Amino acid sequence: MPEQLWFTEILNRLFGTAVTGLLERLGIHPHYPQAPIPNSLGMEVLVCLFLLIVFLIVRASLSVDRPGALQHTFEGVVGFIEGQSHEIIGPHSEGHTPFLVSLALFILFCNLIGLIPGFESPTALPVVPLGCAIVAFMYYHAQGFKHAGLKYLAHFAGPMPALAPLMVPIELISHLARVLSLTIRLYANMFAGDMVTLVFFSLVPLGVPIFFLGLHLGVSFLQTYIFVLLTTVYLAGAVAEEH
Amino acid sequence: MPENPETGQPKKSVLVQLANYSELAFIFPAATVVGWLVGTALDRWLHTTWLYLAGLIVGIIAGFVALIRLVTSSDSKT
Repeated sequence: MPEQLWFTEILNRLFGTAVTGLLERLGIHPHYPQAPIPNSLGMEVLVCLFLLIVFLIVRASLSVDRPGALQHTFEGVVGFIEGQSHEIIGPHSEGHTPFLVSLALFILFCNLIGLIPGFESPTALPVVPLGCAIVAFMYYHAQGFKHAGLKYLAHFAGPMPALAPLMVPIELISHLARVLSLTIRLYANMFAGDMVTLVFFSLVPLGVPIFFLGLHLGVSFLQTYIFVLLTTVYLAGAVAEEH
Repeated sequence: MPENPETGQPKKSVLVQLANYSELAFIFPAATVVGWLVGTALDRWLHTTWLYLAGLIVGIIAGFVALIRLVTSSDSKT
């Protein structure tokens, strides 16, 4: 049996048999049929539940006359991302704000959850950043097709039709490299943050690890910002008027 | 938004530039690895032994193209 966090253990007890049955039906054989849900998925589920509850609380307490602290915080987050996307994408960028805010909050809380004892950052494993990067990749291409229709494909052929056979593989690899670049950046930073904290905690258990926890906190915010910003930059490229 | 007096284009904020420049370190190796992976996958699919090398070369070229494009776009908008 793998080492499980307490929340993952609860999930495995409740849904383990059902998940194993579903995976078996799909032809996937989990390494541990008694505990098919890994810690990373457990932490992702926890972050989603937490965000859902927070969103419901904010939605229920929205007030124009007397906005609460939570409402102010969320208005600040949405306003910041909206301003940023307006600066990069230009007019009509408001439609992308819900996606970008959801992505930002999910990644941020996945990064921050590792700071709480008894939990771990799911983004310190490569599969979770890869999932986020694939979602971002699919979203910006979907928006590109929505914006320009099939003409969006001309964007991959380059400016000269004669060079298209050469440009198409180059462009395809450039776009796929973005997924890998987003994944490695987030994963490596969060993994390194965890490792540094762990190493210093094993060397000097008192005092010193706090500095590294502070560093982890800063890196969590910075990496979330960079991930969302680069997604916005890619989105701006996909919905640019010149296509 | 403040404009660059030389180009007349809007200036990017420091944080946007920071994110753009952080991409410089990753895009070239990422494109190279993706090219190699695509070539290896094609080799397995088509039972050939040389497509990994072609994929690697295309990946390196794609990395250079993306790198140069990123640097020139960052230069023109700062």
